[in-house]
Amino acid sequence: MISKIKEALICLRAGRVTFRYPLAPKPAPKRFRGRPTIDGSKCLGCGACAAVCPPRLISMHDQDGRRTVELNYSRCTYCARCQEICPVGAMTCTEDFELATNNRENLSVAVELETVPCRDCSAPFMTQRMLKKMIDEFRPPWMEKMLQTPEWFWLCPDCRLNSTGLNMERNIKNE
Amino acid sequence: MTTAEGVLSGMKERFPVALLKWEQPRADRLYFTVKREEIQPVTDYLFNTLHARLMMSIGTDKTPIDGNYEVSYMYSLDHQNLIILVKELVPSTDPTVPSVTNIVPGANWHEREVYDLLGVKADGHPDPRRLVVSDDWPEDVFPLRKEVPYNFKPPIVREVKPPLREPNENEKRATILSIGPFFPTLEEAAYFRLFVEGEQIVGSDYRGFFAHRGIEKLTDTVLDYNQIPFMAERICGICGFVHSACYCMAVEQAAGIEVPPRAKYIRSIMMELERVHSHLLWLGLAGHYLGFDTVLMQSWRIREPVMWLVEEITGNRKTYGLNLPGGVRRDLTPELCDKTLKTLEKMEKETHELVDAAVEDHTLKMRLENVGRLSPEDARQICVVGPTARGSGVDIDTRKDHPYFAFPELKFKSALQQGCDIWARTLIRAEETFTSFDLIRQMIAILPPGELMAQVGNIPPWREGIGAAEAPRGECAHYIQTGLNNRPYRWRVRASTYPQLQAVPRMLEGMQVADFPIIVGSIDPCFSCTERVITVDRRTKKRRIYTRKDLLAMSRQKNQGMR
Amino acid sequence: MTSVAVGVFNIVFVLLAAPLFDGVMRQVKARIHSRRGPSILQTYFDLGKLMVKEDQLAVNNFIFSVTPIICLGSVLLAALFVPMGGVVPLGFAGDTLVLVYVLTMGPICLCLGGMASGSPYAYVGVNREIMMLMVVEPVMAISLIASAIKAHSLMLADCIRQPLTGAPSFSLAICAVAFFLALQSVLAKVPFDLPEAEQEIMEGPLIEYSGRKLAMLKWSFYCKQIVLLTLFMEWFVPWPAVGSLPLRIVLTLVKVLAGAVLVEVIAQVFPRLKIAQSMRYFVSVIAVALTGLMLAVMGL
Repeated sequence: MISKIKEALICLRAGRVTFRYPLAPKPAPKRFRGRPTIDGSKCLGCGACAAVCPPRLISMHDQDGRRTVELNYSRCTYCARCQEICPVGAMTCTEDFELATNNRENLSVAVELETVPCRDCSAPFMTQRMLKKMIDEFRPPWMEKMLQTPEWFWLCPDCRLNSTGLNMERNIKNE
Repeated sequence: MTTAEGVLSGMKERFPVALLKWEQPRADRLYFTVKREEIQPVTDYLFNTLHARLMMSIGTDKTPIDGNYEVSYMYSLDHQNLIILVKELVPSTDPTVPSVTNIVPGANWHEREVYDLLGVKADGHPDPRRLVVSDDWPEDVFPLRKEVPYNFKPPIVREVKPPLREPNENEKRATILSIGPFFPTLEEAAYFRLFVEGEQIVGSDYRGFFAHRGIEKLTDTVLDYNQIPFMAERICGICGFVHSACYCMAVEQAAGIEVPPRAKYIRSIMMELERVHSHLLWLGLAGHYLGFDTVLMQSWRIREPVMWLVEEITGNRKTYGLNLPGGVRRDLTPELCDKTLKTLEKMEKETHELVDAAVEDHTLKMRLENVGRLSPEDARQICVVGPTARGSGVDIDTRKDHPYFAFPELKFKSALQQGCDIWARTLIRAEETFTSFDLIRQMIAILPPGELMAQVGNIPPWREGIGAAEAPRGECAHYIQTGLNNRPYRWRVRASTYPQLQAVPRMLEGMQVADFPIIVGSIDPCFSCTERVITVDRRTKKRRIYTRKDLLAMSRQKNQGMR
Repeated sequence: MTSVAVGVFNIVFVLLAAPLFDGVMRQVKARIHSRRGPSILQTYFDLGKLMVKEDQLAVNNFIFSVTPIICLGSVLLAALFVPMGGVVPLGFAGDTLVLVYVLTMGPICLCLGGMASGSPYAYVGVNREIMMLMVVEPVMAISLIASAIKAHSLMLADCIRQPLTGAPSFSLAICAVAFFLALQSVLAKVPFDLPEAEQEIMEGPLIEYSGRKLAMLKWSFYCKQIVLLTLFMEWFVPWPAVGSLPLRIVLTLVKVLAGAVLVEVIAQVFPRLKIAQSMRYFVSVIAVALTGLMLAVMGL
């Protein structure tokens, strides 16, 4: 009997602890891993997020001179690996969690970036922005003395390899 | 004193011909390869002479590499901190092995699973029914074989029959009471068939694995080491962090990665926080199964602050997303440590009040004492773990037996009871909650500084790693075999509820139908853990249509008489 | 004339106010659970929703379809017998016994409906219901008979007047206690709610009912709650006695509300007992009621 009274006291002393959500807002705490989104002004199109996403929801493909990075967060697990791996902070996880919608189109974010075609084989190999970033930010000291970037900057990796090989062959023959 | 050297010399002495290979990659791991014909005497030596405990069995398809299937049995020598892996090579032309279930009853489900998924049959198994794959799965497709693609869709089958056994002699006169495939009390998918006479249960049968989605196959095919922790933590909605930590432990052992001390402590703190929330959740559920909803509401109210706390620490209430092989992703800052201590102080006070009131409650004790008994001998034979084992007097606790992360440096006492019934398990869980509060305080006080993540390079192929941790439900074990190109070759998860469910029929004998939900609830079942659920669902969920009268009247089509 | 008016009032009130009392009980439950709980009017909405939901027509059986109506009808018939404000609407000689029979019709209907449904869960529930009926009905019957003996008449009107006019009696006090203990089971509340609406066996006898039939069954349960509480309050707790009829009715309703709150509080601080434990408990309650009966026979 005493234990029943004790139990009743525990219950009544606690008061009412339920919130009025969804009739009243209840935001998530700071650093909550919510809906991811891509900032198109920063994205380089490097594809690191696509490589890392556990449910493989980020896709990247090139077409007609454009690279499309598409994030479909309908099955997102909100692990924030994409945010962790993005080198420029374009991929961020907001604190939104109220994502219910009856239109699947709303659950996709896509960024389109212009690609650079290879001078030799015309295949797109890098986005304009990434190339520009390479030139602007990672320009080695010696490049300032030159009037323009070297030839091999504008070649895709395969053609670069071929061209280097040809150069080496030419050098050997000329010796 | 059975040490690793002792075991090694014993094995060499007794099985000079059968023992093909042995290695000891670490002080606490021994790997043997034996001839498959001799597996039974080896098992007898390990189980009966050395009193080892069967942890799991693993079936791996190595046919593309060397033409063999590998079937391994993992044993634990609990009091000597030793895990022994016994491997047998099975040629693909003759995929059978001698069954060891007659020696180790706990191997029953393991051997059935190896057959269902890999196609290696255990000769002499007493109950070779389908266990894991669904009722409409074709007989000759074995999903874990490398030639089966991960998105294989079997043809549609209209008439399915769950593999439930026929009643045996003393059950023939009994009524059949089917509870499932949607289990109403636990609100999970599980199918129990009870043979009842009036109110008394005379026999039972279980068909589970409705939530099996084949995550182990996904690992072999499309995922890499850094993506798997996020799937591992979704195996279970209550003990998810333990799974991801255990997986990381296995990979780190296989690859020889040394985790920084601070990361180890953070992992241990989160595991203990998870134990607190899990045991309070269980207390509430136990009340709910008994019709005592007040206990449910109050214990979950007391538990809620720890959910808010971990949401602030990790970014989510349950899927913490903290683990990656090599360390943790987020830090436990001093402000968060302070907040943790304050939250725990309040919770401890309230938990004390609730537990004291519950322990003195005569009616509650009436429902829980002498119900669901599991004798110590049965507990050892079926190799149960966790509070279910400790409630029957079997003193095993992975934090003490195979210390991992921060536990070698911590002082605590394992809860142990001799009652063998549900009341004993309740007392154990209550005691463990208080031990966890104390452990978290100890760890926060001595939290070492330093990095959070080790540098992880390429992971060498063909290494094996075993991770074992104490989840709230018992020991959770993961096995990983690394493969080429920085991808895993085989990942096997043995969740804690796997052996417990095999013990449920023994617990049900002689009990009443009214006790059935609380008995199943007392093992703290985690069906999704046992069956390994994934959240990535590429197929739409097929709805099965059973033509039985019980339970599924709701899903039957509306027939004549539409007005 | 007053009895006809009270009779009409009884039926209308019981039908319309039963969900309100259930709503109050749900709020009490929520308060003990430390949560906000549904509004008091929620049960009206729930019943309304059930009325318009489609009937699954899972079982095509005459008994199955007819028992909800009989159940509701029997409870309303009992309402006609139950005194309100000291006036018995349908009073005639020997109506105490008729009241006991009419009150038993509800559980019997439930059992019939459950068995007609054919589900094994319903069988288990019906099994338990019959076992509980065997031990609980005697308690109610004995308490009512003891009070009838004290009043020297089997007419309800005389029985309820007796405690007010006669001297305070031991036997009635003991019988009141026994009746109150039995009330917890008849109202299908924890710790004795094994047969009906139990999550373990998926609501037992109610499992195959849906739509309008389920609404009627649930409504009859709520009405039974008010009817029995009113009976208890009017019969065993008639104090204080005031003059005018409307005031007496209001007083009874206040007492019924207090009784409902007490029943719910008891329901929330106990786990559900198993059938063997409940039966053992009620056998001892029968013993208590028998003591009351003996004392009544001896004139105390």
